[in-house]
Amino acid sequence: MTGMHRSVFLPEQTADGQGLRFAASPVFSCIDMVTNVIKQPPQHDQATPITQQTATAPIRTVVIVGGGNAGWLTAGRIAAKHKSNQPDGVKVILIESPTLPPIGVGEGTWPTMRSTLIALGISETDFIRQCDVTFKQGAKFAQWVDGSSSDFYYHPLVLPQGFGKAEMAGYWQQSTATANNTSCNTSSFSNALCYQEALCEHGLAPKTIRHAEFGAVANYAYHLDSGKFGPFLRQHCIEKLGVTHILDDVVAVQSSSNGDIAAVNTKQSGVIAGDLFVDCSGFSSLLLGKHYQVPFKACDDILFIDTALAVQVPYEHPDTPIASHTISTAQDAGWIWDIGLQHRRGVGYVYASKYCTEAQARATLARYVGPAIADLSVRKIPIVSGHRTRFWQNNCVAVGLAAGFLEPLEASALVLVELSAQMISEQLPANRALMDIVAKRFNETFLYRWDKIIDFLKLHYLLSQREEPFWRDNRNPATIPQSLQDLLQLWRYRAPGDLDFTSNNEVFPAASYQYVLYGMGFKTDYSQSHYLLDNPEFAAQQFAQNQKMIAQALSILPSNRELISKIREFGLSQL
Amino acid sequence: MAQLVAINPQLHQHLRLQPANAGRHSEDTQLMPVVPAEFASMATQAPIVLTKNGQTGQFVAVALLGFAPGENLFYSDNAWQGDYLPLQLQRQPFFLGQAEAAETPTNTSTAPNNKEDYVLCIDSDSPTICQPTSIDDTRYEQLFTETGADSRYFQQAKSCLAELLRGEQQQQQLVQALLSYDLIQPLSLDIVFDNEQSTRLNGLYTIDQQKLAALAPDKLVELHQAGWLLPIYTLIASTAQIYPLIARKNRRLAKC
Repeated sequence: MTGMHRSVFLPEQTADGQGLRFAASPVFSCIDMVTNVIKQPPQHDQATPITQQTATAPIRTVVIVGGGNAGWLTAGRIAAKHKSNQPDGVKVILIESPTLPPIGVGEGTWPTMRSTLIALGISETDFIRQCDVTFKQGAKFAQWVDGSSSDFYYHPLVLPQGFGKAEMAGYWQQSTATANNTSCNTSSFSNALCYQEALCEHGLAPKTIRHAEFGAVANYAYHLDSGKFGPFLRQHCIEKLGVTHILDDVVAVQSSSNGDIAAVNTKQSGVIAGDLFVDCSGFSSLLLGKHYQVPFKACDDILFIDTALAVQVPYEHPDTPIASHTISTAQDAGWIWDIGLQHRRGVGYVYASKYCTEAQARATLARYVGPAIADLSVRKIPIVSGHRTRFWQNNCVAVGLAAGFLEPLEASALVLVELSAQMISEQLPANRALMDIVAKRFNETFLYRWDKIIDFLKLHYLLSQREEPFWRDNRNPATIPQSLQDLLQLWRYRAPGDLDFTSNNEVFPAASYQYVLYGMGFKTDYSQSHYLLDNPEFAAQQFAQNQKMIAQALSILPSNRELISKIREFGLSQL
Repeated sequence: MAQLVAINPQLHQHLRLQPANAGRHSEDTQLMPVVPAEFASMATQAPIVLTKNGQTGQFVAVALLGFAPGENLFYSDNAWQGDYLPLQLQRQPFFLGQAEAAETPTNTSTAPNNKEDYVLCIDSDSPTICQPTSIDDTRYEQLFTETGADSRYFQQAKSCLAELLRGEQQQQQLVQALLSYDLIQPLSLDIVFDNEQSTRLNGLYTIDQQKLAALAPDKLVELHQAGWLLPIYTLIASTAQIYPLIARKNRRLAKC
């Protein structure tokens, strides 16, 4: 055991309330682990160079700490790619705490979840049947602009018609300037240029029962029961992908002389050694936060929301229509999410406690849900907006809440898990010597992504005309990141374009910015660049094509509820 | 739309039927469901392909009879013009309904296989049923004899339904086998007719011949023992009937 440092962290509480009891591990039978606890942060400055032998030894074992959705998605992604179910594959061990339940708040996904499920080899039919899944075709933002009952816009999942071929935003502005104001909803940016808004307004599914699994007419994501998704992934990962599952609490970390994690100690299953450790331990951030003490960068100066009140609302009837989109309705000190699953809705008020007491927030939520809330239990969840300043330290990388968290606007939680799991899996370093390069690139990539997500979430608050203090303060320039202020200045004279962003795999592409900007009434001034709008015939074709696609889609697509019922009864075909 | 009524000896004692009109049920049928037992017969006149049932999304084997919804190139002069009459037409006007599908669920004949959850029904709107005005026509059949027993015609109709029911189960088993051996592939057809009009057929599937050829010997033996090799090769061979079908279309276009 020479050359190893140990740092120990204590879970906040144990199930039996009697504190921690450590089973003497077979490997460390000579050490009394309770009394011999030394809180010793890793000593990076004294880290000895990795020996040549360690440096070139292949990465053979990945240990994942945490059995929530982040843990299983990461385990599955690595195990599927690196063939953990074969003798020569990479071994993936997932340690799940039997005492700490997952947070389980992420119920909205991005379309990326389809490729994630495909990569894991999961049947879409099984997923839909077992996780209470419905189809999601974007988000409807209600009352974000002026709070009136007719105030809404969509952020759909299909690109605007003609996007990238012409300045469609400019043409659209021209068309609204001349159009009759009474038809304002039909001529909204999202409805004029994207057929998906009409599908959502009609409660339609993105495909039919004749489509293959993951195939579609309109791009789609999912709404899912987070509490069922984890166990579903667990079963698949264990039975099909060869992930080793250990149900135990991690109680200590063993460090190597170079500061790497050599192993983690568990309460009952002994010492688990590995080459790479993935911290999916949720808010507690056991490895990255507690062990490595990587600082947390709060962003509550930009995004004010700090509390969620969540409630599960059963449908009145088994055949109550299921909304085809996430509904997000602005309130005086935040907004309410409304997600329709098969058997219930998930509803929650996320608010900033500086602007609203809990009692006021409960009253707001009750008003939204209606009398049914009297019999329902409301769960309070703190939201600490922000992220770690690094995600990959030594041989440890954090995924999910252990890396950071933001208010659930635009469903960024699960997609960040997916993107992290994908990058770890696809860029898994061949050996320890290469890991620092991968870590550096991973950190750069995800710091950029977190910044961009924070910018994009903030954008939703900037163009509101609501006058409550929460909303007014949100428009205070001191709370707006400079990067976003810069872009807004540029967009006064031209629409957002793909070159505004530098990543080749941008989380929110320029089209998303267009939907929010023009959905909220932002005006781009083309008076100095009339020449960009010199092909009105092409633009007219695009608007007409969109109307044609709306008519076609409305004629062939079933309702969200009807398709889900059929999938439950007959299943979707593989081809 | 078929109007199904449970068959009742009292109600239908004097009903007169003209089986020769059964073909009229295919007037606007582009895709005719066929069962494996009749693949070989059907393959002599039309392509047999797989498509997905619009209600369930499940694969079904169908004969392709036209190039647009509602088009049946085997139908003209109020009759089916093919040499072989598919079981789906032979069975007209009889159906097996679930109890709730029938108007009078009580006092009914049961299905030939004695499954009690099926009710033998007749389509009261079928063109095979003689109208009172045409009653002088002497070429008709009846369901029951003077003594109330099943007529020979009715017995044949029942055995046809039984064959169809068996066939549909076989058809589902065949589809399951094709799916489990991963032998289905999409078939995309771009066709230009003599009048320069073009069409694209989507949503059709057929056997993936490359995957079939690459099957391991033990898998091939399994398919053979299950009796699926003949219908599989018949499906493959039948696709060449697309050319005679295009010729039919061109002849019809030339007449217009």
